[in-house]
Amino acid sequence: MRTRKTAIGAALAALAVLCAMFATTASAAPAWKFESKSLEGKEVVLGGAIESSMTIPGLTTKCENFLYKLTIENVSGTGKGSLTEMPLFNCTTNSKYCTVEKIGAENLPWSSKLTTVSTTPYIIIEGVKVGILYEGEACVLGETFVTVTGSAGGSIDNAKETATFNASTLSASGTELKALSQKIEWNGLFPTEAFQWHREQALSVS
Amino acid sequence: MASRTGPERLLIAPAKAASARALLALALAALLLSGCGGGSSEEDPAAAAGDSTSAPAAAQAGSAAGSREAGGAAPGAAAPAKGQAGSTPSGSAAGTAQGAAAANGARVAVPRGPREQAPGAKEIEEATVADISLQSPAIVASAGHLGRLDPTYTCDGKDSWPTLRWAGVPAGTAELALFVMNLQPVEEKIFFDWALAGIDPGLSEIQAGALPKGAIVGTNGFGELGYSLCPQGAGETYMFALYALPTALSPHRGFDPLQLRKRVLDVSGNAGLLPAVYERG
Repeated sequence: MRTRKTAIGAALAALAVLCAMFATTASAAPAWKFESKSLEGKEVVLGGAIESSMTIPGLTTKCENFLYKLTIENVSGTGKGSLTEMPLFNCTTNSKYCTVEKIGAENLPWSSKLTTVSTTPYIIIEGVKVGILYEGEACVLGETFVTVTGSAGGSIDNAKETATFNASTLSASGTELKALSQKIEWNGLFPTEAFQWHREQALSVS
Repeated sequence: MASRTGPERLLIAPAKAASARALLALALAALLLSGCGGGSSEEDPAAAAGDSTSAPAAAQAGSAAGSREAGGAAPGAAAPAKGQAGSTPSGSAAGTAQGAAAANGARVAVPRGPREQAPGAKEIEEATVADISLQSPAIVASAGHLGRLDPTYTCDGKDSWPTLRWAGVPAGTAELALFVMNLQPVEEKIFFDWALAGIDPGLSEIQAGALPKGAIVGTNGFGELGYSLCPQGAGETYMFALYALPTALSPHRGFDPLQLRKRVLDVSGNAGLLPAVYERG
């Protein structure tokens, strides 16, 4: 009898654990939603950074425009994405001695996924790789090709339909971008807006 | 009421177990039906709308042209009637950016100027690729900040070089060259705090204050043969740079580092770069 009671107790405990796991999974793996309904199939999100800058150690590199094209879908209830394009425009440095000769995203597409940090939805961009070729006779990085690599987590604001990337969001999501063996700073505010089948519909993550 | 002893409790256990099984079954059914009560149901918009993020509110904000413009509109980006453009846009992000700006309002800033080009394979081959890992225990980086150089290795301390360690020197390297440069040029020229050539490519570190055997010392920006890291003002940002050379350049002692670096950049395909900041006080 004791065994049976123990078994029942164990079953209930296991059930509670399972429920807790499901509850955690549900909150840790949010989905893309349009007008509160889960996205079915794929959608293209296209946007340009409202503001963005990247600080290579000692040298701030800014791009006036920073576009992106992200194909999103829900896979098994979890929001995923594939960043297929990220053209950059008018990139400069904060040093008059250093110019950005060439800059571009490499190894596209970069995969992305949604997750939850505390109660905030996040998008994690993985496999980030940006190549930069600097020029300038008096530039210590002149004729040097620097690569930014890593992953970046940005917090999603459903009300504003934006994703914010900065030191805090990268830290909170356990992601980092590195160049020259050091962590780099990336600040970016991106709108998250559908461009294809769900145009004009509110895009949210939950 | 008489309290039951342990054995008495066990005596009524069969009946309790039977009801417990029924209860367990009911509980299982209830929990499964309610999705264990965790998270919101994917198929339940009402539940989703009940999240902290209000979907209707988001929709309202999203459709308000004014709020979109406030979100960082590119000046002059026209926002014609929404949904006016084709429903299946195609093409690249760059190519469609202007269309997107027009169709979706001002949230997609219209790019100004030409699109930047990624370095091509030939350009990367001709450039010096910063892919050698260069580290120093005297340069400690904190999150989001440049590595800070220990004052010991400046003119406020011993004014001698710190330990430097590297990895990833390509095979076939004939020699290594090392420079410490101010990030900010002086009189429009790179200022060298230290220049060292002829370093054995088999080495993977330089110990603090110990010159590697066979290394050739250049003349630094102070006109001295050796190392001196001494900011003029409150502080300075420096770049420690190690270059792998496929051919030995064999400069003479006291060489001009500016001239040597030009030659280095012409031949070197790989470098290790370590920025560091030193601030007094």
